[in-house]
Amino acid sequence: MREDRQDNQNQPRRKRIRFWNPGEYFDYSLLFIILFLVGFGLIMVYSTSSYTSSLDYGDAAFFFKRQAAFAVLGIVTMLLVSKVDYHFLKRLTVLAFIGIGIMTLAVLIVGSAGGGSTRWLEIGPLRFQPSELAKMAIIMYVAYATTSQVWKLNDWKVLVKIMIPPVILTGFIAIENLSTAIICGVIIVAILFVASPKYSHFIIVGVIGCIGGALFILTAGYRSDRIDAWLNLETHPKGYQTLQALYAIGSGGLWGKGLGQSIQKMDFIPEAHNDMIFSVICEELGIVGGVSLILLFIILIWRLMVIVMNASDLYGALLVVGVLTHVAVQVLINIAVVTNTMPNTGIPLPFISYGGTSLVFLLVEMGIVLSVARQIKIRK
Amino acid sequence: MTGVKTYNRKKMLIMFCMIFAVAMFLIGRLGYIMIGRGEYYSNKAQALHERERAIKAPRGRILDRNGVVLAGNRPVCTISVIHSQITDPEQVIEVLSRELGISEETVRARVEKVSSREKIKSNVAKDVADVIRSYHLDGVMVDEDYKRYYPFDEMASRVLGFTGSDNQGIVGLEVEYDSVLQGKDGYILTVTDANGIELVNTAESRQEPVAGNDLYLSIDANIQSYVQQEAEKTLIAKEAIGVSIIVMNPKNGEIYAMVNAPEYNLNDPYTLNTEGEFATEQEKQDALNQMWRNFCINDTYEPGSIFKTVTATAAFEKGVLSVEDTFVCPGYRMVGDRIIKCHKTVGHGLETFREGIMNSCNPVFMDVGARVGVEDMYHTYEQLGLMRRTGIDLPGEATSIMHKKEDVKEVDLAIMSFGQSFQITPMQLITAVSAIENGGNLVTPHFGMYATDPDGNRIKTFEYPVESGVISAETSATMRDLLEAVVAEGSGRRGQVAGYRIAGKTATSEKLPRGNGKYISSFIGIAPADDPQIITLVLINEPTGIYYGGTIAAPVAQRIYENILPYLGIEAEYEAEEPQD
Repeated sequence: MREDRQDNQNQPRRKRIRFWNPGEYFDYSLLFIILFLVGFGLIMVYSTSSYTSSLDYGDAAFFFKRQAAFAVLGIVTMLLVSKVDYHFLKRLTVLAFIGIGIMTLAVLIVGSAGGGSTRWLEIGPLRFQPSELAKMAIIMYVAYATTSQVWKLNDWKVLVKIMIPPVILTGFIAIENLSTAIICGVIIVAILFVASPKYSHFIIVGVIGCIGGALFILTAGYRSDRIDAWLNLETHPKGYQTLQALYAIGSGGLWGKGLGQSIQKMDFIPEAHNDMIFSVICEELGIVGGVSLILLFIILIWRLMVIVMNASDLYGALLVVGVLTHVAVQVLINIAVVTNTMPNTGIPLPFISYGGTSLVFLLVEMGIVLSVARQIKIRK
Repeated sequence: MTGVKTYNRKKMLIMFCMIFAVAMFLIGRLGYIMIGRGEYYSNKAQALHERERAIKAPRGRILDRNGVVLAGNRPVCTISVIHSQITDPEQVIEVLSRELGISEETVRARVEKVSSREKIKSNVAKDVADVIRSYHLDGVMVDEDYKRYYPFDEMASRVLGFTGSDNQGIVGLEVEYDSVLQGKDGYILTVTDANGIELVNTAESRQEPVAGNDLYLSIDANIQSYVQQEAEKTLIAKEAIGVSIIVMNPKNGEIYAMVNAPEYNLNDPYTLNTEGEFATEQEKQDALNQMWRNFCINDTYEPGSIFKTVTATAAFEKGVLSVEDTFVCPGYRMVGDRIIKCHKTVGHGLETFREGIMNSCNPVFMDVGARVGVEDMYHTYEQLGLMRRTGIDLPGEATSIMHKKEDVKEVDLAIMSFGQSFQITPMQLITAVSAIENGGNLVTPHFGMYATDPDGNRIKTFEYPVESGVISAETSATMRDLLEAVVAEGSGRRGQVAGYRIAGKTATSEKLPRGNGKYISSFIGIAPADDPQIITLVLINEPTGIYYGGTIAAPVAQRIYENILPYLGIEAEYEAEEPQD
C-alpha cells in the first residue's frame, strides 16, 4: 500500500491523506453503526456498574475506564485491520487454528488442575478468553477450507471433511463453555450453508444438531438445572438472576425510568453490566430503547448481508457470513435469555456488555468485514 | 478466484430472514413483558426495593383522676450497625462496648458480621444514646423508640397491667383500653439496594405516627398509694399471703383504689416478687400469672358474715323481718338433721335482730334465711348482681359459683344465709353492698372515666349502666342504720373512726377444705354511715395468728378512713373522742 501512495504522489494532496484509496468502497454506514454501538455500550456499562463499583472499588468509573480502554484499543485495531487485505488471513489460518486449539486445551488442563471452571488464559500481563479467539479462528478456517474446495461442495463427504477440525475444537470448548460452543457450531453450519448450493444436507444437519443438543442438555446435570430454572423461574433458586432481569424489564414501561435511573442495577441483578445489561437498558430506556437497540442490530446485520452479497470473492463473503452469524447469534441468544425465552447461558450482548476480550475481538472481526467491504467493486 | 454466486446470495437472504424473524419474535416477547406483564413485574420490583421503616407511635398515657401519670412513655433507643457503612470498625467496637457496657467480643462479633443491619442493643437510655450519637460514627444507627414506663413502679400493678415488646397491652387496663391507648404507627418508605442500604436522592414517602389517647382513671394516686402502704404493712404484720383492698364510691362505682399486696414492679414484670426456684419454665410462667392476678376480680371466695347483709336485705325486701324481731341463740341450730354451730358456741341467748347482726349471730340468720325461702333469696341475689359479672372494665373477671336454685335444700339455704357454701368475687360483694347502702342502685364498678386526645381534648367519656331501685330505699335506710350499729357497738368496733359515722360488717371465712386453719379475714366499711360516699373492702388472705375479721381487718379500714376521709374533704361530724377500743 505504501507503493500505492508513492504511485499517487502526483495526485492532489488531500487524496493522499484519505483513509481509503481512490476507487475503493468504504462502508461508512457500518462504521457509524459500530461506533454508535460501542459508544452506547460504554454509556450503559457506566450506568449499570457505577453504583456497585463505587461500593466495591470506591470508584464509580472502575469498569467504565477499563471498558473504555479496551474500546479505544479495539477501534484502533479495527481500523488497522480494515486496511489489511483480508486475503492475508489465508496464510494465517492454519497457524491460528492450531495455536488456538492448543490454547483451548491449555485452558482445559489448567482449569481441571485448578479444580474449577476456567475460561481465562494469562500470558504475562495479558489475560483473555481463548474461546473468544476460537470463534474467529473457526470463521477463518471454515471460510478458507470452503473456498478452496467450493467446486466439490455438492458432495456431503467434502462437507464433513471440512467440518471435522472445527467441530473437534468446538467439542473442546463445549466441555467448559457450552454457550460459546453453540455459537461456534452455528457459525460452522452457517458458512457452509451459504457456500453450498444444496439444502438437503443442512436440513439433516439441523435435525441432528437439535437431537444432539437435546441429548446434551438432558445428560449434563447442571445444565438440566438451568432448564428447571427456566421453566419455574419465580420459584427456582437458580432463576434469581433472570427473575431480577425480568423485574427490570417489566418496570421499564414505554419510555423507561430515564438513563441512570435503574434500581435493579443496584446489586439486585448480579453483575448487571455483564450478560444482563439489556434488562437495565429496558428499565432505563423503556420498550422504545430496547426495541431501538434490537433494530440497530438488525441494521448492522443487514449491512453485513449487503457486504456478503457484494463481496469481490467468495472467501471474503464467507468471512463476513461468519462474523454476521457470530453477532446475530449472540444478540438473539442474549436477548432470549434476558427475556427468559430460553434457559440461561452466559452470552454477552455484542458491543454493549462489559468484557474486554469480547469487545476487542468483535472489533477485529469488524475490521475484517470493513476490509472485505473495501474490495467491493462498485458497478458503474 | 471464486466469486459470489446467486445461490450464495439467495442463501444469505434466507439466513437474514431467519435472523429477522427471530428478532421480531423477541421484540414481541419484549413487548409482552414490558406492556402485558409490566405492571406485575414492576410491582414485584417495587416491593423488593421499598423498605418500610416503622415510626412507632407513642402509646397514650394512663392518668389518675387528678392527672397524675400512672403509665407514661420513656424515649429509649436501639443501637445497630450497618456493616457496609462502617469506616472505622475498631473505633466503633471500642466506643460501643464502653458506652453500652457490653463485652468487646460480643460487639466485635456483631460489628464484623456481614449483614445489612445488626442490632447491638435495644432499650438504651436516651442519654447514653445521645453520647453515642455525638461520636458521629459511620455505620452506627441510633433509632428512637418509646418504652412504657410506670413512674410509681408498683402502684396498682395488678390493675394497670403492662405492655409487651410491641407496646400492646398484655394484662390489666392496658389490655382493656388497648384500642384507646394504642397509637397508629407511622412509617417511612425508602428505596434500598439489594443489600438493604437506603439510596440517597430517592423520594421517600412518610406517614406520620398518630399518638394514642390518654386515659383518665377514677383511681386517686394518693389514696391508692396510702391504701397500698396499709396493705403491705398488714401483709407483713399478719404474715398473710395477700391483702386486697378496694376503695370505691358506692354511689357511682368509681374505684379510688384497688390494691392486691404484694404488688409487683410494672417496669420489670417478668421478675417474680417472691423467692423460689422453679423446676420448669411452665412453673415459672404459672408463678408469673399468679403474680399478675388481680384477686379482687379474678378470684372467688366464700364471703362469710359480710354476706349476712344480703340475707337481711332479702328478708326486709320480702317484709318478713323487722329490726326488733327476737331470736334465741343456744350456740347452734338444728337444721333438718344437722347441727350448725354459732361462732359463739355458748350461744348469744335471747336477742333482737339488731343485736343479732351486731353479734353476727349465725342462728339468727339461719332463721331469717328460712323465712325468706330459696325463691326470694335468689331473687335478691339477682337484684344485687350476685348472679352475674359486675361488668368492671378489667379483663378476666370471674363470676359467682352458686348452687342451682332447684338444688338448694333447707340446710344449704341455712348455710348460705351466713355466706358459706358458695363463692363470689370481692368485687361482686362490694358492688352488692354498695347497692344495699346507696338506696338501691346497682352500679357498675369501673376505673376508666374519659379519654383525651394527645392535645388534651376530651374525646370520649365512658358511660356505665346503673340499675336503680334493685332494692327499696326503706330497706337500704334500715341496712345503713344496722351496719352503723355493727361498727358503733357490735363486732365491727375496731373499724370506728374518730369523728365519723362508720357503718360496716366483719367476716371471717374459713378457706376450703374446712379445718385446714386457713382463713380470709375481711371487713367492709362504709363512710359516712348516713350518706355513704366511700365503701372499703379489706381482705386479708391467710393471716397468721389471730384471724378474726373484726380484729385484724377492721383496723386497716379504720386507718385508711382516718386518712382519706379528710383528704376527700368529708367533714368530721362530731368532736373526736378517744376510740373505745
